[in-house]
Amino acid sequence: MNDQIHQITKTEWEIPQGFVPGMRVPGHFFLSANLARNLEEGALTQLANVATLPGIIRYSLGMPDIHWGYGFPIGGVAAFDAEKGIISPGGVGFDINCGVRMITTPLHVSDIPDMKGLVDDLYNAVPTGVGSKSPIRLSQNDLSLMLVEGAKNAVDMGYGMPGDIHRCEENGSMKGAVPEYVSKKARQRGIPQCGTLGSGNHFLEVQVVDEIEDETTAKTFGVSKGQICVMIHCGSRGLGHQVCTDHLQILESATKKYGIELPDRQLACAPLSSPEGEAYFGAMAASANYAWANRQIITHIVRELFVNKFGISYEEMPLIYDVAHNVAKWEEHDVDGVHKTVCVHRKGATRAFGPGRSEIPHEFRACGQPVLIPGSMGTSSYLLAGTSGAMEKTFGSTCHGSGRVMSRSSAKKSQTGEEVANALLQQGIIVRAPNSAAIAEEAPDVYKSSSEVVHTVHDAGISRIVARMRPLGVIKG
Amino acid sequence: MVFEELEHTADVRMKISAQDITSLFCESGSALAKTMYGSYPIETPTHSFPIVAEGKDQEELIVNFLSELLFLFETEYLVPQKITLSVGTSVSGIVAGVIFDREKHAGGIGVKGISYSGLSLTKTDTGYELIIIFDI
Repeated sequence: MNDQIHQITKTEWEIPQGFVPGMRVPGHFFLSANLARNLEEGALTQLANVATLPGIIRYSLGMPDIHWGYGFPIGGVAAFDAEKGIISPGGVGFDINCGVRMITTPLHVSDIPDMKGLVDDLYNAVPTGVGSKSPIRLSQNDLSLMLVEGAKNAVDMGYGMPGDIHRCEENGSMKGAVPEYVSKKARQRGIPQCGTLGSGNHFLEVQVVDEIEDETTAKTFGVSKGQICVMIHCGSRGLGHQVCTDHLQILESATKKYGIELPDRQLACAPLSSPEGEAYFGAMAASANYAWANRQIITHIVRELFVNKFGISYEEMPLIYDVAHNVAKWEEHDVDGVHKTVCVHRKGATRAFGPGRSEIPHEFRACGQPVLIPGSMGTSSYLLAGTSGAMEKTFGSTCHGSGRVMSRSSAKKSQTGEEVANALLQQGIIVRAPNSAAIAEEAPDVYKSSSEVVHTVHDAGISRIVARMRPLGVIKG
Repeated sequence: MVFEELEHTADVRMKISAQDITSLFCESGSALAKTMYGSYPIETPTHSFPIVAEGKDQEELIVNFLSELLFLFETEYLVPQKITLSVGTSVSGIVAGVIFDREKHAGGIGVKGISYSGLSLTKTDTGYELIIIFDI
């Protein structure tokens, strides 16, 4: 570890002001000793760069899955003052509201004798990878409604159950969405991609709950050992990517206009109260709503397939929760004893609100919100609960995944997709992807251990482990 | 090879070299196509589309050009075979190619956007060199 970094506790570290010029607050990040060995210098610099942004409150925060991104590091969290603060697309990412959801089923492993058949059927049913096309035809008016209503819009179109809506963060529909700030180009990219999984680290996974750490909370969440569940990880597709591209350009000019000095061009930003900042927020919220609708439509495709294949009912596959991990949101937080509305950026980080928060579904309010942490292709995913510790330390945030440690080019050189798929098959995991490189690039070895990351947030008290899910079948985009 | 993939943990970082600025822009377009579609067969183009981009400086120009190209790939399902450009203070030209076919073009990974992070466009003794990150 860089000798300017101070270790505060077993899992908490601080980057002092002065690490890069112009830091307004320190950097603060969470890592176990093991994870600290793999921390990239570039990620530290990015975390420190975020601390230079106007109106940042308390810390520039890094979760244990922190790695080198652009602008903000992946795994970065920062809250900004409503009056003095800024909003930055670099603190959200290209894939606005990339997120994860999980549904449970009444099935057990013994009910699925042909897992390969199920994986093949899912692969054929859910449009996946580069060049895939939407299963639905949206008109411009349909899209406008979707950009405002999000998951509710998809449910109204017949893609889901009313009960799904309140099981999404923000009820699947962020307030403040302004479709007029979403460009024609973004709409053109969004219309043919609605209800598609995408590629890269996006996936759809059939899992089995193989360990329960907290029986009481697991029961409250509706999860039991041996249960088959499905996890979906994707975002706002080309629509969100284009919104990021469009508004980065606008905010580049705004940065100069408002005299904001930046250490990295990709941190382009504007005051939250400026017309440019408000325009980005409106477009970003609309993209987030599109992403919730997207995940809702994919969920519907999965449920229909399970109904037809296994003869179970649609209603027996409830949504446990849906979390966003690339987003900026207005939230209420206590800052040095004062209750404030602040704009929290989470880039590769998950909201982890603790018990009692009104934003959490009432049935979960006593135990904290469900937090879904996907593992890499061959490793376990986790269900956690938000904590009051997260409210105190991280503006109610925790990690979002395992975090890469090996580049894609190195991954492809170290083993072929076929070798990775065969190794996973030996462990009883079936993988389907459009090409072999997609499997090699996402091999389990290229990620930090999901277990190590999740245990770090548990030990740091910013969320707590409820259950572990083991992968059985994976579709990679 | 005029472009090569450099190490980057999460995204695709490319180094592209060319003798002149126009070739650099064309080659960077090919690098984007290779990332998205993998290695694909050379075929006679069946579709062509005009492309135009502007920028306040050369870095913004290349980012905007590649963003336009990405838009074309995603909305027209175009896989480029020939990129013909005129590059000055702005870029204009024609992208000719074929329509995406999963049997031939599914060897790559979706690009979300063109990043300014770590971007460098420099003049060298032999021409130009671009280092650029495609966010995936």
